[in-house]
Amino acid sequence: METVQQIIAIVLLVLGTFLSLVGVIGFIRLPDVYTRLHATGKVSVFGLVFLLIAASILTPLTAWKGILLIFFVLLGSPAISHSIASAAYKAGVPLVNTKRDDLKSKLERGSGKDV
Amino acid sequence: MLLYLSSLLVLFVIYLMLTGNGSLSNLVLGLIVAAIISLLMPKNTPMLVRIDRLPRYLWAGLQYAVVVIWDVIRGGISTARIVLDPKLPLKPGIVAIPYGKKSELGSAFSAHAITLSPGELVIEIDSEGNMYTHALNVDETLAAAEAGQAKRTRLLDVMFDS
Amino acid sequence: MQTILDIIFSVVLGLHLLMILVAAWHTWTGENSAVRLAGLDLASTLTTAVLVIVGIISGNSLFLDVAIVTALLGYLATVTIAKFISDQKVF
Repeated sequence: METVQQIIAIVLLVLGTFLSLVGVIGFIRLPDVYTRLHATGKVSVFGLVFLLIAASILTPLTAWKGILLIFFVLLGSPAISHSIASAAYKAGVPLVNTKRDDLKSKLERGSGKDV
Repeated sequence: MLLYLSSLLVLFVIYLMLTGNGSLSNLVLGLIVAAIISLLMPKNTPMLVRIDRLPRYLWAGLQYAVVVIWDVIRGGISTARIVLDPKLPLKPGIVAIPYGKKSELGSAFSAHAITLSPGELVIEIDSEGNMYTHALNVDETLAAAEAGQAKRTRLLDVMFDS
Repeated sequence: MQTILDIIFSVVLGLHLLMILVAAWHTWTGENSAVRLAGLDLASTLTTAVLVIVGIISGNSLFLDVAIVTALLGYLATVTIAKFISDQKVF
């Protein structure tokens, strides 16, 4: 039983680290803020949550704290992504290589200068 | 009064999860702390959650969680495939996804679900309830948006509207 | 078994510290303030992850408390700075 738990936790730990790594690679490779935010969202939604599940399995004492932190992270990370993207759009950060922009006609863009 | 009691219950449960021991002195201390924090809440806070709908919340909420987790896993796989592809096949763009004029809580949950899945990111909501979503792959999002939004809207309607 | 566990923990911890360095580098040399803020948020998330890993290694549940406080403070800081970027004022 002990060994099975350890093996599951190790698999989750390695998987979470791999997905965080994919997110950081995306953060380096993608061209502008909006696309990069998808990659950072991946780090907190997959990497951190898998690490916390592994922590809850390995040390039963911390299980409730781990679940609480998973709840906070899942509730908070979309709000962070949205607030950064909305601020960037209002400040006039350009979109690189866009296929379509439905919001352009709706919203008065900022002065266009870099803040 | 109902508002006060529900916030006290939520804060008490969070306190117990943080401390994680069930001795009597700890329970009493947690109750006192939760009561003090609930008293500090403003009096005219609107009560968005209705107690008489609790069974509906539990059943529809469970289905909703399954739908959202499935969406998140699918979005994560497609985003990882885009990022690790050497050619970086990006088709970024901002797409309007309609939700309709409904309750604030419902549209907040819908925007949360869309933003939580990697590859889609709500930037702005206008007064007609259109969600302006930035997507990594515009075609894929446009193809999947209608069905996914309909699935989520049905469950959210059960919970918050009607 | 124990040595394999130790090696895996060291590798995971080292990779996370390396990723924090990358995020800090992008915070330093971002092309505009939104990219810098995204890098700062990434660094804060990875700091939480490092605290969780240290908690697993040492078996001390106190580190998870610190991780919760770090996550909540990082959330508040990021949202506040984003509001400052969009409106040029905080309140």
